[in-house]
Amino acid sequence: MSCIELKDIRYSYGKKTPYEVCALDGVTLSIKENCITGIIGHTGSGKSTLIQMFNGLMKPDSGEVIIDGENIWDKPKEIGKIRYKVGMVMQYPEYQLFAETVKEDIAYGPRNMGLSDEEIEHRVSKSAHFCGIPEDVLSKSPFDLSGGQKRRVALAGVMAMDPDILVLDEPAAGLDPRGRREILGGIRRYRYESGKSVVIVSHSMEDMAMYCDRIAVMSHGKLIMDGDCARVFSQREALLAAGLDVPEISNIVHSLREKGIFLPDDIYIVDGAVDAIVNYVRGNKNGI
Amino acid sequence: MGFDVTLGQYYETGSVIHKADPRAKLFFMLFFLIATFVAKDVHSFGFLTIVAIISIIISRVPLRIVLKGLKPLIVIIAFTALLNVFWVKGETLLVSFTVIPDFWRVDIYKEGLINAGLMTQRIVTLLAATSVYFSYATTPIALTDGLEKFFGPLKKIKVPVHEFAMMMTIALRFIPTLIDETSKIMNAQKARGADFSSGGLIKRAKALIPIIIPLFISAFRRAEELATAMECRCYRGGTGRTRMNELKMKFRDYVMFTLGALTLVGVILLNIYANGYKV
Repeated sequence: MSCIELKDIRYSYGKKTPYEVCALDGVTLSIKENCITGIIGHTGSGKSTLIQMFNGLMKPDSGEVIIDGENIWDKPKEIGKIRYKVGMVMQYPEYQLFAETVKEDIAYGPRNMGLSDEEIEHRVSKSAHFCGIPEDVLSKSPFDLSGGQKRRVALAGVMAMDPDILVLDEPAAGLDPRGRREILGGIRRYRYESGKSVVIVSHSMEDMAMYCDRIAVMSHGKLIMDGDCARVFSQREALLAAGLDVPEISNIVHSLREKGIFLPDDIYIVDGAVDAIVNYVRGNKNGI
Repeated sequence: MGFDVTLGQYYETGSVIHKADPRAKLFFMLFFLIATFVAKDVHSFGFLTIVAIISIIISRVPLRIVLKGLKPLIVIIAFTALLNVFWVKGETLLVSFTVIPDFWRVDIYKEGLINAGLMTQRIVTLLAATSVYFSYATTPIALTDGLEKFFGPLKKIKVPVHEFAMMMTIALRFIPTLIDETSKIMNAQKARGADFSSGGLIKRAKALIPIIIPLFISAFRRAEELATAMECRCYRGGTGRTRMNELKMKFRDYVMFTLGALTLVGVILLNIYANGYKV
């Protein structure tokens, strides 16, 4: 089942000026339910524009955005409801914090939804738990926290709205390796425990390979690949041609294959590579 | 939201006006400005309109863009025109009607209509010309550089011209950045269900808090980062600072200067002519 469907979306910035740039050039994509979808692309490939179509922050020049079987732009007045359905965490979300306490900031979204105080309380503590925010931090000012903690608070603020689909734009950008693991690990935990769909935008191949089930690749406003991780990462040449890297492990496997060591070409994470190499070595020994 | 407007809407066409020295443009506009205020009647205003139109043609900025820039000022222009129509008294009465008997009568005179027309023309030509010379054909940076040179002599009486120019450059430089930032923050809060377009005045004002606070914080952060970056590159104010692009007045710039002066002279002559050679 797909939860968001895009049909032939087109969008340009700066229309009718000399600076017109085509950001999305006929993108058709369906986001599958119950999995983490990664959207990869070079800087300026249209990833961020694309995800802003998901919750109606941007209106496509042409094309349809279909959520739950309805084109969201059929009823422009009800676009607000879509935003509760599709939760969006923007790039560097820590800069959107504003409230006096962490708790108040996380409660901002649920409060806009018009929920009761108990429900808000419940949601705040639940999403704080997912994002690994300790109890005592909730009463602090968000501006006293470290960068990584702020990021988690911002994330919790969107999770607290309990959206059906959580969309994150570069959730791990600018964090150290440990911060990345914590954020992305938290997202994965959220996905398994809540059963919701997640979309992550990133240009880190390693992260995507580690955390995503499916990958969509953008290049120059077009969708050039879409499928499960193994299928996308096995298309090494096409990825390189789009100016993207492949995960380091894919590179190693590729070099080994070039040296005549026969390994499958759809290996993209360390564990898979270890297994494949062990199998290969065993197979060779048995063969001799 | 209508955030597509970038202040200092530079519109590159590579025309002569684009390439001219900002100081020449400043002088030209100064003459033009004085001329619009000196101009008295249809002849001199007609002349100024022609100068403005020729400027637009030379600059190759599409008329559509120039007119679009004037759109936000329509209310002010219309208001000025109406004031003139209803309140200027003259000799030839055209229409007279009573709104409230014995209390409010409206008289419209021929002079009032003419005045309204001239006022409108004055504002439109002035704004059109200024926007062509300063917004569309000059980058904000070039403009502040020009201003710094233009007011350079004031340094002698200890006016911190360089510092003012630097402040202006930085302010102009950060307008698009802050607009960008604002729309990002707005989007982020909209994604959390913020609603900026419904409810009463107080509700709307309150809805702005989640935008203004992050915006201020990021503005301060940027200011601090910029100050550090400038200090790291040994910025110590204007004294002894050299430039990468020296401004140099070329022949065409002197031509522009002269044309500006000629416009003013032309307007004065037309005024004298209209008054029947009486000064």
